[in-house]
Amino acid sequence: MIIGAALLVGATVVILGACVLLVILVVAVRARRHSRNQRDEMLMSPLRSALITVASGEDDDGAAAEQLTWATGVSRVVLDRNIVEMLGKIRGVPADQLVHVLEVHGAVDAAVEDLTSRSSVRRARAAQLLGLARAKDTVPLLVTALGDESVEVRNSAAYALGLIGDPAAAGPVLAAIGAPERGLPAATAAEALQSMGVGISEVLRDGMADDNARTRMVAAHLSAERSFTLGLPQLRRLLSDDPDLTVRETSATAIGRLGRGEDADTLVRHTADTEPLSLRRACVVALGELGDTRAVPALAEILDDSDPRLAELAATALLSMGAEGSAALAGHEDDPAVRTARLLVSLQRASA
Amino acid sequence: MSAPAGEPDASPVRVLVADDDADIRDLVEFKLTQAGYAVEAVPDGISAWEAFEANPPQLAVLDVMMPGLSGIDVLRKIRESEFPSVPVLLLSAKSRDSDVDTGFAVGADDYVIKPFSPRELLHRVNGMLARAR
Amino acid sequence: MSWDGVTEGLRSLVVWSMDVTAVPVIIYFLLINTSLLLLIALAYLEFRAQQRRRATAVSWQGAGLAPGVSLLVPAYNEEAGIVMAVKSFLTLRYPRHEVVVVDDGSSDETFARLEAAFDLVQVPRELPHEIPIRAKVLGIWVPRDGRTRLVVVRKENSGKTEALNVGVNAANEPLVAMLDGDSILEPDGLLHVTRPFADDPTRMVATGGAIRPVNGSRVVSGRIVRVEMPQTWMPRIQLVEYLRAFLLGRTGWSRLGGLILISGAFGLFRRDVVVEVGGLEPNSIGEDFELVMRIHKKLLDEGRDYRIEFVPEPVSWTEVPITAKVLRNQRRRWHRGLWETLWAYRSMLFRPKYGRIGSLALPYYWLFELIAPLLELFGILIVPLALLLGVVNVPFAILFLVLAYGYAVLVTLSAMVVDEWAFHKHDRWRAIWQTIAASVLENIGYRQATVWWRLEGWWSSLRGKKHVWGVMTRTGFDEEQA
Repeated sequence: MIIGAALLVGATVVILGACVLLVILVVAVRARRHSRNQRDEMLMSPLRSALITVASGEDDDGAAAEQLTWATGVSRVVLDRNIVEMLGKIRGVPADQLVHVLEVHGAVDAAVEDLTSRSSVRRARAAQLLGLARAKDTVPLLVTALGDESVEVRNSAAYALGLIGDPAAAGPVLAAIGAPERGLPAATAAEALQSMGVGISEVLRDGMADDNARTRMVAAHLSAERSFTLGLPQLRRLLSDDPDLTVRETSATAIGRLGRGEDADTLVRHTADTEPLSLRRACVVALGELGDTRAVPALAEILDDSDPRLAELAATALLSMGAEGSAALAGHEDDPAVRTARLLVSLQRASA
Repeated sequence: MSAPAGEPDASPVRVLVADDDADIRDLVEFKLTQAGYAVEAVPDGISAWEAFEANPPQLAVLDVMMPGLSGIDVLRKIRESEFPSVPVLLLSAKSRDSDVDTGFAVGADDYVIKPFSPRELLHRVNGMLARAR
Repeated sequence: MSWDGVTEGLRSLVVWSMDVTAVPVIIYFLLINTSLLLLIALAYLEFRAQQRRRATAVSWQGAGLAPGVSLLVPAYNEEAGIVMAVKSFLTLRYPRHEVVVVDDGSSDETFARLEAAFDLVQVPRELPHEIPIRAKVLGIWVPRDGRTRLVVVRKENSGKTEALNVGVNAANEPLVAMLDGDSILEPDGLLHVTRPFADDPTRMVATGGAIRPVNGSRVVSGRIVRVEMPQTWMPRIQLVEYLRAFLLGRTGWSRLGGLILISGAFGLFRRDVVVEVGGLEPNSIGEDFELVMRIHKKLLDEGRDYRIEFVPEPVSWTEVPITAKVLRNQRRRWHRGLWETLWAYRSMLFRPKYGRIGSLALPYYWLFELIAPLLELFGILIVPLALLLGVVNVPFAILFLVLAYGYAVLVTLSAMVVDEWAFHKHDRWRAIWQTIAASVLENIGYRQATVWWRLEGWWSSLRGKKHVWGVMTRTGFDEEQA
């Protein structure tokens, strides 16, 4: 009983002590944020108007930009952080002027060094700075950073490579998506690849043969988004054979956007009722998008499908195919699917 | 940049600028003030709406992404207000045109995508006011 | 039998039951505290990782890979708020989304208000019957402009769960978001909860977002423009509960890969997966929990590689009960739903096939969510009784209470630190003191009452009593009319 009581008292003291500690921590977290914001504001206040002048493109004589280059010590660190933030918001001549200030401060060289820092936040910020400063010569370093152990660094490296826009980095960015355990999030990769030049069409084509489903999906999606017909043969293959349903649906949509007339047959094949419903729907929509009249007989048949949505999508597709498509609706005028599709098309036309 | 006001003694054209990002707010305010506009800059959607109601400006520059009421929300309220025809320019971050689509659907007159060129923004503001007259 | 005899008998009964239960209770106490501490540690790790990501985040605007979303809004007699809610959902920031309102046989002006506000036209569309529906669908309407992405479905009244199933059938986009009609969403909330789908498009099947009480905050046009503390203690205490549940519980489980609960007030699912598992179970009380369990079971049975993730950013705000009556109904329903779902999926316990769901998450929910109120009730009864009968002395009893409840406060405070550090939504100092006070006050009365209500819910299920739906009376937001 004595030991029990002692234990109880001890535990109580520990718990209550921890509670008090946490209260202090809450207050400290808030106080620190306040004081840090205040410090940064204070350091920035003499430089703020010069920064705004440069950023707004009103620094005709270059005096404000020059004033910015003089900053030293902590205020330079804070200023550089503000400049980097500003670079994400503006473009044109003012952006170039701000990059020049960073270069004079040595911030670009420092960022190269920071890419191997122990703190992942520093590594990530360094990568972003290099991208925002459009530091083309650091592309190989950024490509290495795509395989970083921290996801924020991988994300930042891809973001930077997208800003720099060098198509040479497209292969590594796409490949990084499927890296085991250290994958690059698909959304970041897609966004980076979006802003690279036309030189990436072959990379995307090859990416569609990758082992990783996410890589294939991003490659298929972007091929359509960027209108690279080079990838068509691969897209057809993915639609037919890919083990992943999402990849197949993406490929169907992509073929609808950039396919040729003869692709109507491929898409029609996958509207068969042995295929998953979501794929059949994607293929019917793609047929409408493709607009080739070879699909008319097949679409007309789908008007009788047991899935009302599939029938409505087919009717909508037929309505978009001119006289030949509309003619195929004969005999189905009273179908709810056809009436709905007609009504929606007329509403859209009326408001356009 | 020359002052946009037509007559020399006319009071300056009033522009409402709403952006939660202090950098952009200050920069747009500075750019437009330099160009001779009278700018009221506010940090969020609700202040923008309150400022609009208190004293409707001749033009509004609204950031789409603001906490609370977004630029689109404010635009919607402006279009349903007593002064529905005030020209509105939306500032939107880089995107796949979706904000722009929504913005135009709700009744925006023009938009600028971030990162933007301050000079281009000014040209658009001048152009919108010229058209509005 | 004399009075003394009764007292003596009772006394020996209490001594006996304390002797018998002492060891199990201590073990249980140790287990629950240790596992909570582990969850806190996991949540801390997860938050540190997320904080690093946030500190280095570059804005994502949903370009490219963001999948289309259908927002499903079941509505039953919501004439007051429905138009405002739909307008605010339609103008969320997202590249591609539609709003599907399912009017569940409202007897008020819900439909008429929508019809007038959006100039609705009826379309002769037949809905896909991918999920079987028992109630009759009365018709489908769309706005006349042919552009506003709104679909209104009217059906005979058959409850919220089936309304959601109808919504899934009517949805045109690959993802479906299940909302409450009175949820208030952050303007960029959809961008947050869809991000995991864009990052891992072939594997992600469901995500859930954090929910917070809206009571007391200033709401304009269906958006929160100023976050404030609720006016009274009951919602303030619930705020503390929400912080704990979302910031510590779900985040920790998400990191472990054992997330089994996504709140019905904001869950996002792949439509094809919802269809594949047969939709929400209309007879279930905890239909959101049941759905997630069914998805886990089905996909694990088939050995598929999939992910379910929790997004800690606050994306949705909801009004919490301010009267004991409504709160009682809510808690009874929750606990009943918890019990029925855990019982229905008991076969998943400890089966290697079900990985961490079967070996960790489910046992945890059984032990510390389902059974906890029973043990707590035992404590609530036995300690005062023992005290009364002189089995234990006063200092001992007080120490015991301080220890038990001090621990609960500790857990809450950890959640507060995390919240302050990561989100700092409340920017007034007063909010901090009120939250701390609420975390202490929670243990005086509120906690004991919820223990009792939870047991009531469980008990009514065990007796097979038909559940009577509690109607949530809403106070309405501090809404300002333009």
